Amino acid sequence: MAAIDQAPDVPGRSADSPRPRSRRGTLLTQDRRLGLLLIAPAIALLLAITAYPLGYNVWNAFHYVVPDIPFINGKAAGLANFRRMFAVGSTFEPALLHTVVFTLVSVTVEVGIALVLALALNKPFRGRSLVRAAVFIPWAVPTVVSAEAWKEMFDPRQGFVDYALHLLHLPGSGTTWLANTDTSWVALFVADAWKNTPFVAIILIGGLQVIPAEIYEAAKIDGASAWRQFRRLTLPLLKPALMVALIFRTLSAFLVFDVVYIMSNGGPGTSTETLAYLDFNAFHVDYDYGYGGAISLVLIVLCLLIAAVYTRVFRERG
Amino acid sequence: MTFFSTLRSGHPARRTLTSAALAALLGAAAACSSSSAPTPQTSANAQQTIVFATDGLGGEGQATTAAIAGFEKQYPNIKVQVFNLASSASDQLTQLQQRFQAGTGLDVVDADVTWTPQFAAAGYVQDLSGAGFDTSAYFPGQLASAQYTGKLYAVPWIINAEGVYYRTDLVKTAPATPDALVADAKAALASDKSLKEGFAWEGAKYEGSVCALVDFLGGFGGKLDLANLNTAANQQALQFMYETIHKDGITPQAATAWQESDVQSAWESGQTAFALNWPYEYASSEKIAALKSDTAWIPFPSATGSAATALGGHNLMVAAKSAHTAADLEFIKYLTSASVEVSRAESAGDPPSVKSAYTPALYAAAPYYQAEQAVFAASTARPSSPVYQQISEVLQTMISTVLAGQAAPSAALSSAQAQIQQIPGYSASS
Repeated sequence: MAAIDQAPDVPGRSADSPRPRSRRGTLLTQDRRLGLLLIAPAIALLLAITAYPLGYNVWNAFHYVVPDIPFINGKAAGLANFRRMFAVGSTFEPALLHTVVFTLVSVTVEVGIALVLALALNKPFRGRSLVRAAVFIPWAVPTVVSAEAWKEMFDPRQGFVDYALHLLHLPGSGTTWLANTDTSWVALFVADAWKNTPFVAIILIGGLQVIPAEIYEAAKIDGASAWRQFRRLTLPLLKPALMVALIFRTLSAFLVFDVVYIMSNGGPGTSTETLAYLDFNAFHVDYDYGYGGAISLVLIVLCLLIAAVYTRVFRERG
Repeated sequence: MTFFSTLRSGHPARRTLTSAALAALLGAAAACSSSSAPTPQTSANAQQTIVFATDGLGGEGQATTAAIAGFEKQYPNIKVQVFNLASSASDQLTQLQQRFQAGTGLDVVDADVTWTPQFAAAGYVQDLSGAGFDTSAYFPGQLASAQYTGKLYAVPWIINAEGVYYRTDLVKTAPATPDALVADAKAALASDKSLKEGFAWEGAKYEGSVCALVDFLGGFGGKLDLANLNTAANQQALQFMYETIHKDGITPQAATAWQESDVQSAWESGQTAFALNWPYEYASSEKIAALKSDTAWIPFPSATGSAATALGGHNLMVAAKSAHTAADLEFIKYLTSASVEVSRAESAGDPPSVKSAYTPALYAAAPYYQAEQAVFAASTARPSSPVYQQISEVLQTMISTVLAGQAAPSAALSSAQAQIQQIPGYSASS
């Protein structure tokens, strides 16, 4: 975010400085020293809760860390935990594919719908605040709650989805949504989009509000069509907000766990298992901190890669 | 000294702090090891409260409450506090492991028969070999489940085996083969329109599906030999499970997410002709007017004469860190005494673990215990291993992928076998 919000250097600012060059260096050093001292506690805390567990996790990934199996616990494992991911019968590769597809589809759909929502809610109309508040409610509901609710709604016997499809004479009523390897994904996408689209919309509305109205007036005088205004003005000026939304949503979609855990529990079969779900299983079902640590490391590396790609793309285009 | 052992031997307070940070960031409970120092013991005569971790709703819960009241009357200085475990076995295991890893809090533990090797190998429970229990009092299959490396780590409490319930008003004679069961279920569905399914069984991805698999394997002469899983008989059993849902239409697709309680409600609401379940269902059915005289229970029929019923049941254990071992043992002896087991059998339908409890008096009070003998006689244990939990996880996934149509039985079996070999500690423990 910092990189995005950074203002370009203003030429001539340094020349305005009243201090002579020689004294400025020492003062700066002193300032910097005091600054470091002031942030030291925060840095120490950050290291304790990020660097230390990360290091611990790296250690785990290269060892057998299975407290319930004492005769192997703590022994060096080499790359065994990583090899296990790609061994015959491992569900790691399918889970990676599921995760990538889930991320691509959910982010595209959510950002698309959110953009439409944000544009609509940015126009002044009676009761706009009320509608805005209503749209944001799903985001305020904890995922566990919304996922449980959607699971009920997709129930083939008493669920709302079946009822609605039946009422509207649409195909699909009577589907056991969560018992089929394809339709279970539909249920997951719907539940995830319902919950997360408002979040993207909030960010985009924020981005829209800072675009000055005058430039649209100028464009109108110049005879630009609504589409042209959107393409040439709105979209480029919305880019910083769009980027923030994309990074946030991509990373959290890539780490999707809660909605899967509640609604499909990775099933039917292994058809909706994601990487974070596998990681949870390793940690909390098998109590295998070594294998869990190895999956976590892979997840961290993949997330860093995603972040790196986004930063590069934005820098090039920005 | 390694990173991990430094953490484990660290100062307790620091360890707690570290654990909190770890749990917060990684979402993983820190692996605090059990120290080797013996826990100071309270004498049996002293005033004390012991914590009994157990599950049980309804009749079972009431039977436990009644037994505790009887015990406290007999031993006025000992109070028993119940620590309620979740209703699903997987959740129970998680709860217990977390407690054991934290080190304290539990005294007597009600554990599933499959957990003994794991708890014993991890040092979570005490060796009870010298505690004076008469091992000849129990059924051999369940006694074996209470032992690990020749030592007694648990005391059998309730024996359990899973069989097939059927409605005698819809099915006149017990089916003798799996095919006959399918034919009977189809016929029942065709003749009685109030039925929603022919055969209800639990297909959700949890421990129960492994029990169901044990039952179905018996129908085809298969078995859970982990070194040789991909056999023709095992393939047939998995194929049977798949076909009940996807070909025969006697089991609903929703059953791929069903647990025992769903099977129970399908049976008790009279919407199925056959249902796979444990003995408690016999006692429950006796209380339902529509089912009372129409319930029969058999092992899953076998085409090869090798019927198997999954051995379940509960064993009682003493936590390694308990400071009340003497009182714990008195409590276990009380719960597993023939008279207390008989009254539990009558009120809650839990079959006694001690052979001497099966008396004419019990049969007079609850005749179905006589009918249950055939199912208990076929009881078959699930694989015994300290890494059973990990093995079961692989088997559950295997079943689930077959039921979802993701993999053919043969592919699923060979993949499961390969994955089991990958479990850390599997080869060292087998």
